[in-house]
Formats: sequence, structure tokens, C-alpha cells
Amino acid sequence: MIRPIERLALDPPNPPFLDPDQGERISPPYTQLMGARIVQFDRRDLAKTWLKQWERTVAPTVRRASLLALVDGLAAIAFAAGLALSVDAIAQGLGAASLAIWLAVAALALAVRGVLAMATGVLGARAAANAKAALRLTLSRAVFAGPRRPAGEAATALVEGVEALDGHVARFLPTRLSAGVLPLLMIAAAAVASPIAAVIMLGTLIPFILAMILTGSAAASEARAQFQALERLSALFLDRVRALPVVLAFQAEGATTTALTRSASNLAERTIRVLRVAFLSSAALEFFAALSVALVAVYCGFNLLRLLPFPVPEQLDLARAFFVLALAPEVYAPMRRLAAAYHDRQAAEAAAESLSTFEAPAPRPARAPLTAAPSLRFDGVEIRYPDTDAPAVRDFDLVAPAGSITALVGASGAGKSSILNALLGLAPVTAGAISVNNNPLTDISSDAAWAGQSPLILPASIADNIALARRDAGRAEIAAAAERAGLGPALAARPGGLDFVLDERGSGLSGGERRRLSLARALLKPAPILLLDEPTANLDAEAEAAMIEAIREAARGRTTLIATHSEAVAALADKVVRL
Amino acid sequence: MTRSPVTSPLDDLIRAQKRQRAAGLRLAALSTVTVGAASTLLLGLSGWFIVASAAAGAAGLAAAHAFNVLLPSAGIRFLAILRTAARYGERLSGHAAALRALAAIRPAVFESLAAAPPTESLALSRGEASARLVQDVDAIETRFVRLSAPWSAAAGLGAGVALALLAGWIPALSILTAASAATLLARALARRYSAPARAAIQARTGALKDSVAALVSASAELRAYGLADWAGETLNARAASLEDARRAAARAQGLIIASQSVIAGLAVAAAVASAAPADAALAALAGLAAVMSLDALTSLASAFDQDGAAREARERLNAVLRHRPGPASASATPQSLTLLGQTLGPGERLAVSGPSGCGKTTAIEALLGLREAGSETPRGAFAWLPQDAGLVAGTVRDNLRLAAPKASDEDLWAALDEACLADRVRAAPEGLSAYVGDDGERLSGGERRRLALARAYLRDAPWLLLDEPTEGLDPVTEAAVVARLDARLQRTGQGLVLVSHRAAPLAICPRRVQFGAQEKGPATVSPSLVSTL
Repeated sequence: MIRPIERLALDPPNPPFLDPDQGERISPPYTQLMGARIVQFDRRDLAKTWLKQWERTVAPTVRRASLLALVDGLAAIAFAAGLALSVDAIAQGLGAASLAIWLAVAALALAVRGVLAMATGVLGARAAANAKAALRLTLSRAVFAGPRRPAGEAATALVEGVEALDGHVARFLPTRLSAGVLPLLMIAAAAVASPIAAVIMLGTLIPFILAMILTGSAAASEARAQFQALERLSALFLDRVRALPVVLAFQAEGATTTALTRSASNLAERTIRVLRVAFLSSAALEFFAALSVALVAVYCGFNLLRLLPFPVPEQLDLARAFFVLALAPEVYAPMRRLAAAYHDRQAAEAAAESLSTFEAPAPRPARAPLTAAPSLRFDGVEIRYPDTDAPAVRDFDLVAPAGSITALVGASGAGKSSILNALLGLAPVTAGAISVNNNPLTDISSDAAWAGQSPLILPASIADNIALARRDAGRAEIAAAAERAGLGPALAARPGGLDFVLDERGSGLSGGERRRLSLARALLKPAPILLLDEPTANLDAEAEAAMIEAIREAARGRTTLIATHSEAVAALADKVVRL
Repeated sequence: MTRSPVTSPLDDLIRAQKRQRAAGLRLAALSTVTVGAASTLLLGLSGWFIVASAAAGAAGLAAAHAFNVLLPSAGIRFLAILRTAARYGERLSGHAAALRALAAIRPAVFESLAAAPPTESLALSRGEASARLVQDVDAIETRFVRLSAPWSAAAGLGAGVALALLAGWIPALSILTAASAATLLARALARRYSAPARAAIQARTGALKDSVAALVSASAELRAYGLADWAGETLNARAASLEDARRAAARAQGLIIASQSVIAGLAVAAAVASAAPADAALAALAGLAAVMSLDALTSLASAFDQDGAAREARERLNAVLRHRPGPASASATPQSLTLLGQTLGPGERLAVSGPSGCGKTTAIEALLGLREAGSETPRGAFAWLPQDAGLVAGTVRDNLRLAAPKASDEDLWAALDEACLADRVRAAPEGLSAYVGDDGERLSGGERRRLALARAYLRDAPWLLLDEPTEGLDPVTEAAVVARLDARLQRTGQGLVLVSHRAAPLAICPRRVQFGAQEKGPATVSPSLVSTL
């Protein structure tokens, strides 16, 4: 459906490319607007909300992984107890049997911890896989059915963006839940042996929590900048590889390599900045942990020596003191693990900022498919792309009766393609109205067949490429469509005919053959509206004449709009509109 | 660190980077030694302090007062500070050196791709190429970061064994044995389970990126045929095998961690039990030393875990990097040009026409050396307008400067004017800085073509190769473009090879060659680089 222009204005074009000469981001015009900062802030909130909503979908698996972490906490307590009691057994001379029992408890506890770590890892990976698959579906719907996005941005979102959430689900979320509970569990266990040591531990949690908050807020903007640098490098490389023939022919390898060097070292420096903050905060946590452990050790030591300068209501023995000491690092370990996983969180937040802008198309009112060729009507239609100074189409009127062929002819850039795109919701209609059978235009993509200027070639067989238009089509129908589109000679010249496999660049198909393949798709789809964008460009007169016959055949029983420069094609039409 | 005895282009690059970043990597190794030793000593000292305190406390007030509490507690604080600082230094200097090295390796990948024979470089899909530059280069980070892992393991183990020796040689020996067993087992498990999973992750990320790039470039058609959900399912089908590999890698990693834990448990039990005859304080010391020694092996085990990814990435990168660009050979500009049996002298014009699909575009691309290995192709002699315009994502200026990096804005405007596009660009508020979108998608078909024509005009080359220069133009614009082309050729004396079906451009070419369908070669699909691995 056509999106309101206000929404488009909020969507910056966001070209993720470096000007190879300037080395700076080309700022889209909207950043110069007064409201730009407000837009940025809104987006950050949007990203947070988006991430929170998305986290909800993975909550059950995450809870299961956190539960394992809690069991791991119990095993840690068992290890500390086993170790303390075995040392105590030696000190008290309790004999080999009791020593062996406690040592076995300690060894077993460590083994259990190892198995739990493995289970947590696998569970996290499974949760991440499911979450990412769901996200890919949502994003695909937004990319391929929602508002149009630059190719590099869309590709980066679908791969790097989705992958950026992997660590968030697999590591951060399970750690976050357990980091809230485990320290208290450990302290409670310590309280059994020494209430005062437990109080000391409780007190040392305060600087810890402060350090955690600092970690959370300090590196967020750096992480964002880093993700953008990654997006830019990815997109730049993707684009220059596509344009490689031109880069080679113009001997621009050097300049392109320089641009990539700049982009790559920008990414490296951004990443180093993120790491610097991340390492600094984990160093702070580590330092506090070590000091806290030392504090507990000193208290226990002085208590054992009975040298405390103040009276305490407890007198420790070796077993209890050692247990508390062995447990002390485990009090802080969950929070240190959380800090270590925090960059996963930041990566996810940075990615969410991009991903949250991919909106799924609004659900459209259900509509019965058209059963016969409809009439199409344009009333004073204006099409204006965001960031452009002048509308591509202004005051366009057209009445196309059911089953007619209309040719749109006009100068380059007059907006012929835009009118066809507007019917599919690919171009923004900013004024006027389009109606189908005298009803306002809704989504007609299911009722339209379309052959464009540069058809999609998938790395698959020719038959599969044609069948994209209607995936349940039988082999005979595909062959018939290919034949009617004039692909017969092309198929005869290739080994395997319809089964000939094309590569991503469509190697082996000439420009004309691609047009025919595109037309074959349009023929295969039994849609009552046919839209053709320059169907005979790049064809010589003879091939054009053959193509016109194929178009005449394809247009039978459909309402057809053709954008063309060719007078020969225009001659086919019932009505010619000059733009 | 590489076990493969054969040297490779990537190894050469990595060696060069290691030399260049030696200071940072040495600092990382030095810091890691400090971390490993300090951690072990810290826990050992604390344990001993407690136990000795207990003994002194039990022995009575005099013994307690005689017990020196200041030295151990100061030592604990000192070690804590030392360890924190050293670990920060190790992480930062190690990762910074690694990341900067990767930043130097990435452009080399593109450079090699550009230097590769076109049959290979143009057959490598965008997604695959991008996966090599981003994900595969990321995967070799471990080759730098892991450099300090053996040092950290050795330092932690050394300190642990030294502490355990205080309790006797049997505890020390049992720690040493356990550490060796843990290391060997981690390596074996990593080779058996991690390596295939990590290698599959690298390869399947490339395949996924490939599918994504192909689908995204076709978004208009996917929309017209309502294939959004199909596209998502196609991607998930591709991603499913990637996720399988990730799960396998998580399982392998878990297995390594579990094996290390089990061995650590046994080591602690053995160390305490064998130190029991000494006394409780030394037994505690031995137990804690065992825990810390085994813990110090973690970074080594995780390096083993990452090896599989690095090895696969190495193979994938070497497939590209073996085409390192040689020294630029200044190929002489040819005096004449032979194409389709026609020889053209300087300044001559030739029009090529023929039915669609007869191979006209292929002939032009062959001339440019884009069809087969042609290191001798004098590309500098040609200024090309490709059939699909071939714009890069960026501004109007970016596209034009591709042909003439040093051109001034005046030069750019002059070329735009000759291509009849200057008025259109001037009308845009950003002018030359206007963003044209991916492959010029913000321009109409005719505008893209004229921008590519202006780009060809900017290149100082004796021959213009124009493939359908006026396609998509209305007759009035077409006439203007052709008239300015004619005037330009007379002024500059450039030669012209023109591919077109249209009468207007053909009219300015005195010589014409008709390219028959019978001359068409067999349609071939070039083998992709992937399949040569």
C-alpha cells in the first residue's frame, strides 16, 4: 500500500556509503533540519521498545537457560563446601574416609558445573536460532513487502543485523536473569557459615551495582557507531563487488581499495573504542571482586586469629572460614559474566536501532481477488519521492477501461515507471487518487503481473526462474509460458533447455532473453492486470517485432499498462498517453 | 601457530602484520604472563593465609600475635591490583593489534579480487565476496589474539605448580598431569567436533549472504509477485543449516568446557589428597593451586575451539588472495584496434549492430579483458559505457570521479553537459553531491545511462566503447546526445566503437559491421570460485 509521506520523511535515506574522496558520511538532507535530533531520540526509544518486545518472544527458552544457571549456583556452593570440609578433615585428622567423601563431593560438583555449562550453551544456541528465524521472516516481510529500502541496508539488516542478536539471546539474556538471583543465593549460603561475612558481601555489592550501571550507559553510543561502521563497510564492499566490471574497466582498483581501507580502519578504531570501555568496566568489576574477596579473607583471618579490634558474636573455625572464602569469588562471578556478555547486549541494541525501522506493511483489508480485467483510473495523481525537489509525476489523469491496452510514452525521467510503481505501492502517491473498478486502490500486487526493466535472475534453472511468478505452476504450463514469450530459440540453444542453470549474474542470457523471461513470468501468472516497463528496450527491430506479438498475446483479457519509448509498441495500444 | 606446513598468501599477510604489530602483541603476551601468575598466587596466598591464621589462632594468643598478618594481606591487595591492570593491558593491546591487522588485511582481499582473472572474480557472487571480506577476515582474529594464550596458560600453570611444590612433589605432579591431559583433550575435542562445525559456519554464512544479496536486488519483482513470505522462508531454509552448525559449535564448546571441569575436579581431589600428609594449610594451598592452574588453560582451550573457523577462513581467503596484484605494467596504448575482423585506426568510428543476444556486448567486454584472463589488456585505452550503466552507490560526483579521480568540479560539469545531464543535476538541490542510490536507482533509466556516458567522457582514453548509449532516451534528448557526441569526437579525435540498434547514433558512424546470430558462441556458465576450492 502507499505509505503516507510523513512516515517517509522520518525514514532517512541513510546512505551507508563513504564518499571515496572525502572520507565522510554523505549527510542526508534531513540531518540539517531542526528536528533531526528529536528524530534520533525517538528512534532510540523505538529501538528499546522494539528490543523489549522481541525479547518477550524468547522468554520461555531464556527462563529455562536461567534455571540451569541457578542449578549451577548450587553446584558452586557444593564445591566450596566439599573443598572446605576436606581441608577441615585434614586439619582435624578425621581420617581418610571422610576426606575422600568431601573430595568426591568437590570433584563431582565441578563435573556437574561443566555439564551444566554445556547444556546452557546448547540451550542458548537453540533459543537464538529460533528467535533469529522468526526475525528473518518478519524482516523479509518488511523488506520485500514494506516500504522500499536501499539494497545494501536491507542485505546488512538480514545478515549482520539478525546475527547481532545471536549473542544477546544465547548469552546475555540467560546471564541477566541469573545475575540478579545468584549473588543473593551465594550470600545466603555464606550466611549459614558466617553471618558477618555475608553482611560484608552484601555491602560490597553496592559498588558492583554502580559499576554495572556505568558499564550499561557508557558504551552504548560507541557500540552504535561501531555497528554503523560495520554496516557501511559491508554495504560499500557489496556495492563495489557488484560494480567490479566498471571498477576494472576504469582502472579504479586503487581508489576503491583506498576507500575500503578507510572504511575498514574506521571499523577497527570504532571496535577498539567499544572494547576499551567494555574492558575498562570489566576490569573495574574484577578489581572490586578481588578487593571484596580480600576483605572477606582478612575478616576471616583476623576472626580465626581472634585479633579483631571489635567484638563479634561469632567465632569461626577453619571449615566455615574456608567455605566462605571459597564461595566469595562466586558471589561476584555471575555479575562479571553479565558484564562480559554486555557487549552482546550493546551489539543487539545498536542493531535494533536499524532493525526497528524495518516496519512490516500494515495489514490490509481483506479483499476478494479480481475475477475479470478491471478498469483503472488515475485522478490528479502526484508522485513525489522523499528528498526530491520536484514531483516525478504531477496531475496525472487516466481512465483505462477493463481489458484495454494503454501505452505511456514520454521523455526520459517523465515518470512512466513511477506510475506503474505507484500501482504496486512502490512509489509514494502524494496527491490525487488511483481507483480500481471505481474503488480506492488497495494492494493489487496479487492481481498484477509485472515485467520490469531489469528482471530478477535467481541462481537456479530457467524453469525455476519462470515459476517464481506462480510457484504451483506445472511443468507444461511453464513450458507454454516460455514458448509464448518467445524463449523457444533461447531454450533450444542451451543444454537442458528449461533446466539450464543460470548464475547470479544471469550469465548466458542476453538483454532480450531476460525481457522474454520476465514476460514468461507475467504470462504464467493469471493476473487480470499486466504492467510492462520498457518491454523492448535493448532489442533490435526484428526482435522487437517478435516481442510485440508476444505482448499482444499476453495482454489478451487483461488491463494492460505499458511504459515505453518505442512507437512500434505504442502502436499496439488502444490508447496512447504522452507524458 | 599454524599447523599447516605450507605457506600461503594469507600466512604471508599475517606474518607481515605480526611484525608490524609486534610491540602490541608483545605487550599483550607480557601482560598475560602477569595475569596468569598473579591470579594463581592471589588465590593460593589467600587460602594459605586463612589456614595459617586458623592454626595460629588455635595455638593461642601469643602465636596469634607473632603471626605476621600485614605481609599476606598487603600481598593480596597488591596482587589484586596487578592482576586487574595486567588483564586490562592484555585484552586491550592484544585486541587492538588484532583489529588493526584485520583492517589492513580487508582491503588486500578486495585488491586481490580485482587482480584475479575476470572468469573467477566476476563469477564470485556478491554475497560470497562480502562474506570473505567481513566474516572470514573476522574469523582470523583469533590467529592474533591466541598468540598470548600459551603464555597465559604457561604462567598460570607455572605459578600453580610452584605453589603446589611447597606441599610436596606429588601434588605438583598431579596438577601438571591434569593440565597436560586437559590441554590434549581440549585439542582433540576441538579437532573432532569444533573444527567441522566452525568451518561450516564460515561457509554457510557465505551461502546465506549470497541468497540475501540475490533476493534483495530483486525486491521489486518479489513484491509484484507477492513473494515476501517465500523470500523469508527461502532465507530461513538457507539459514537452517547455518544454525545447525552453530548448535554443533555450541555443543562442541560445551563439551570442551565440561571436559576441563571434570579434569579440574579430579585434579583438586588429587592435589588435596596427596598434600594431606603435609598439613591442612598446605593441602588447602595445593587444592586452590589446582583450581587456578586448570582455570588458566581456559584461553588456550578457547583458542583451540576457534581454530576450525580460522582454518576454514584461511582456505576461503587464500582462494582469493592467491591473486595478489603484481607490479603495475604500463601497457602501451595500441595504435589500432581490431574488433570482429575490423581494424580501426586512431579516431575512426565503428558501429556494431545485430540481433539481440548475438554477442555484441560480449565482444566489447572481451575487448576490455572482462571475459577471460587478459593481463595484457590495455584497459587504459578505453572509456566504456556498459550496457547496464554500472553505477556505484554514492553521489553523482563519486560516480564521475571513478573515471577521473583528480577531475575538478568544472571538469565534471563539462562532462555532464556533453552528456545532456547537466541541467538535471543542477536542478537537484545537492547538485553533484546528490545521492544516486544503489546502482543509480533514484535516477530514471535514461538518466543513469547519461551519467554513465558523462563518466566515460571524463576518462582520457583514445577509444570510446559505448554500449547502447541512447537506450531509454526520448528522440529529442537522443538527438542532442548524438550531436554532442559527434562534436566531441571531432574535437578530441577519439575513436568510437558503438553498439546500437537505433538510427540516430548509427548515423554518425561511417563504418558499420553487422553481427550475425550465427557467430554467437556457446552460452557458458563460468565455474565459480567456490567450486574450485
